[in-house]
Amino acid sequence: MRHLYLAYAGRRTGQAIVVVLLTYVVTFLAISVLPGDPVTSTLRNPENGFSEEEIARIVSYYGLDQPVAVQLWQALSRFLVGDLGVSMRTNLPVAQLVGAVVGSTLVLAASALAVALVLAGAIAYGAHRFPWAPGRSLLRSLPSFFLSVPTFVIGLVLIYVFAFDLGLFRVIEPDSAWATFFAALTLGVPVSAQLAEVLIAGLDHEAQQEYTSVARSRGLGEARLYLRHLLKPSSLPVVTVLALTVGELLGGAVITETIFGRTGIGSLVQRSVSTQDLPVLQAVVALAAVVFVVVNLAADLLYPLLDPRVRRVGSARSGAGVGAVGAGSAGVGSVGAGTPDGELESADVLAAFVADEQLAAVGDSAIEVPLEERVRVS
Amino acid sequence: MTLQALRSSGAARAGADAAVGGGTTATTVAEATAPPSPALDQPAPDQPAPVLQVHDLSVAYGARRVVSGVDLTLRRGTSLALIGESGSGKSTIARSVLRLLPRGASTPQGRIEVDGRDLLALSDRAFRPLRGRTLAFVPQDPASSLNPVRRIGAQAQEAAALLGERDAGRRRELALEAFADVGLPDPERVYDAYPHQLSGGMLQRVLIALAVLPQPRVLVADEPTSALDVTVQRRILDLLEELRRTRELSLLLITHDLALAAERAEEIVVLRDGRVQEAGPARQVLHAPTSDYARALRADVPALNPDRLRELRASLEVRDAVVPAPEDRPDQAAPDGEHRSSGDVASAAAWASTARAATPRIAFEGVHRTFGGGAAGRAGVVAAEDVTFTVAPGTTHALVGESGSGKTTAVRMLLGLERPDAGRILVDGEPVPTSPRALRGLRRHLQLVYQNPFTSLDPTWRVGRLVCEPLDRFGVGRRSERADLVVAALDDVGLGAAFLARSPHELSGGQRQRVAIARALVTRPDTVVLDEPTSALDVSVQADILDVLVRLQAEHGLTYLFVSHDLGLVRQLADTVTVLRNGRVVEQSSAADLFAGPREAYTRALLAAVPRAEELA
Repeated sequence: MRHLYLAYAGRRTGQAIVVVLLTYVVTFLAISVLPGDPVTSTLRNPENGFSEEEIARIVSYYGLDQPVAVQLWQALSRFLVGDLGVSMRTNLPVAQLVGAVVGSTLVLAASALAVALVLAGAIAYGAHRFPWAPGRSLLRSLPSFFLSVPTFVIGLVLIYVFAFDLGLFRVIEPDSAWATFFAALTLGVPVSAQLAEVLIAGLDHEAQQEYTSVARSRGLGEARLYLRHLLKPSSLPVVTVLALTVGELLGGAVITETIFGRTGIGSLVQRSVSTQDLPVLQAVVALAAVVFVVVNLAADLLYPLLDPRVRRVGSARSGAGVGAVGAGSAGVGSVGAGTPDGELESADVLAAFVADEQLAAVGDSAIEVPLEERVRVS
Repeated sequence: MTLQALRSSGAARAGADAAVGGGTTATTVAEATAPPSPALDQPAPDQPAPVLQVHDLSVAYGARRVVSGVDLTLRRGTSLALIGESGSGKSTIARSVLRLLPRGASTPQGRIEVDGRDLLALSDRAFRPLRGRTLAFVPQDPASSLNPVRRIGAQAQEAAALLGERDAGRRRELALEAFADVGLPDPERVYDAYPHQLSGGMLQRVLIALAVLPQPRVLVADEPTSALDVTVQRRILDLLEELRRTRELSLLLITHDLALAAERAEEIVVLRDGRVQEAGPARQVLHAPTSDYARALRADVPALNPDRLRELRASLEVRDAVVPAPEDRPDQAAPDGEHRSSGDVASAAAWASTARAATPRIAFEGVHRTFGGGAAGRAGVVAAEDVTFTVAPGTTHALVGESGSGKTTAVRMLLGLERPDAGRILVDGEPVPTSPRALRGLRRHLQLVYQNPFTSLDPTWRVGRLVCEPLDRFGVGRRSERADLVVAALDDVGLGAAFLARSPHELSGGQRQRVAIARALVTRPDTVVLDEPTSALDVSVQADILDVLVRLQAEHGLTYLFVSHDLGLVRQLADTVTVLRNGRVVEQSSAADLFAGPREAYTRALLAAVPRAEELA
């Protein structure tokens, strides 16, 4: 039954690829209708020092003398085979330019994400469990404070305190571990605020649910209660927000990289915008689209794993769907017990209420076990 | 059938236990199982020792006091029912005992003693070891009481861990044993399932299993069956009784149902507005209540008063016998030929009503409907199979069944929200139309009162607008006339013009349901579908709403299709009954015959499951 989940994953992946291609086309069209002619503004700019021959070669490579539709077709067919073109400013392959800086940005974004997650978790848990009530309300208001402080202010304060005053890192070594950490902190704080906001709301909601009281009546300690019971259901909206804030991580990287003097996608974008280096911009936009789509795809695929009920909704919508995960894994535990595995599978794959009604019917009829037998067991 | 067997075998088993066991066990079991004896009326000197004692308990939410000076004593191996309507403070008391009050509730004042220890004096840290081991909790709504994203097994592990078992495999065995003990079929499958994969009855068994697994001394059950079907309710209550006997549990049962309390508990404490109105042995409270409130409560329980409404109806029918014709509708003719309008000429209406006297108002003829299935050859869920019944004008027909019986589907098909796969549904001899326009014409004469008045009224609208909406939608009368019609409809349900400018949130549940009824009746329909119209309401409110419905039926010659799972209510209200099970008609007859001598085993089981204290009489 696992192939149903794979079919779902395949379909979502296909949609993701279409989104990336569409982004590429839209970016291309947007750039091509912008005023300003790359030939005159970039190629004939004396500072860049292109010869007429080179200009002619670039013009024919990009088909800049051709109609837009033809240019688009050429660009798209190159993009499909992985050829991102040649930078108009440096005359180097775009892939090489991007490749040189993408690592630094990915390290920054990934550490920022990690910082944001840890921070959000700590704030949300503290907002619920901090032993002193004013401390709890302070922690509750922390996310809005974080969101209202601009990134560059956070960055400058961090540099001032930790680089200049405390000497933890040196600004001329932007790739050192400490420098990377503080850059990640700068970038991660606003993101953590959004995550903490939804996580607090999620915990608030789950803490009011009856199952929380019931779990508490079972003698669970508060830490276990939060970790084992509340975290998972509360993290569902966090996953959604996380997928959306990845765009922010990429966008915010431009500012953070500038402040911390890191060479990354941000600085590449900055240079390319000021020189109208269209092929590079096009590639960066495509890259951002790929990252964004991949992260959202991951979130979509993660959701059914976090919430078993989504599997059912998925299956109800697609007619087949993701129900397989539950059925597959639930089946494993009950092998050898004479369990009607097929029954559970079919119930899982059927639409929501159908599954319930069937199982209910099975359960209720089977409940009428003679009392003697039950008593004998006890 | 099975239920009978279940009960008698339970008694037999208990008897055997008493014979074999010795000492205190035997006494307790005998005490618990013996049919209520005169000894219970006066406190016997050899009563079991108290386990839980509440002295002068008061709880306030902010400035609002919800519990004031409550005393109660629960003895070992016995059960005590705490009964009251919503807002009586019964759940607050239960949660004070369990220390599960929401944050912001003030600390309960008074004493709550378990084995002589005052729980209120304990710190959270000192209280925690009592959770599960001494005090266990069975909640009201099984569907929301298990973590939906964790497997039942993972949650069972927590309960088993309270016994100090360190080995996860052994804990699993304990959980499986507990599932088997509460009569869950296939415990391994339950262990591996997620909550949404099980029915409500199964989930409640799971919750009971988890509660009793750590061998607690006191079980607090907060309305443990109010979310369940009546036959499932009976099995769950039997199970609790059984566990109480075999494990020397003491049961604190919170309920709103006096009949249930009387049937299941030895002692009853009646609460109102946080104060004890009456307390004593169950039979005494039921049959010789000393407080006015307990008397009023008793009079409102449908199962205890099967003929209450019949008298009211009889008196109304005699009075109205002079004017048999249904009232004229203030209307224009229905726009479409498919549904026959009663016409705008009074004589035509009179003629039509005479001509139609032989025609049933509603007729289902061999109706089939199946959901799902098809494609992969899987069998779908049968919501209706050869459903046939008729409803005569001016009468009340009850559709009775448990969840999944197909009663809701039948109503949806009648209202044209669902199409039958086969068979015909006739309203006044005409098939239910398919076109949206014609459906509009039909719905004007066929209105619906929903189950839950807390969700069926738009909270942002005022009562006047809510009741006027159907008039606007069907374009009835001129604008000025509509205001009068709205007031008339509100008067009909006993609310009056003073309520026009109120918002739903300012109204009580009963008032909301009255607004919903006024809204249904404002277009002067012939027929009203009542979909469990009182199931969200307290019994005293329910009694008022039923009076209103009966009066309006007599005044306007209405036909009711009454959908319910509550046989006590059906017995009071209905003329004819159709019992549904899994989409099939099990039994059909007049209400009098059905309740006097049910023919089918299923109907008998349903009737037997209604808590009523007749056995105690």
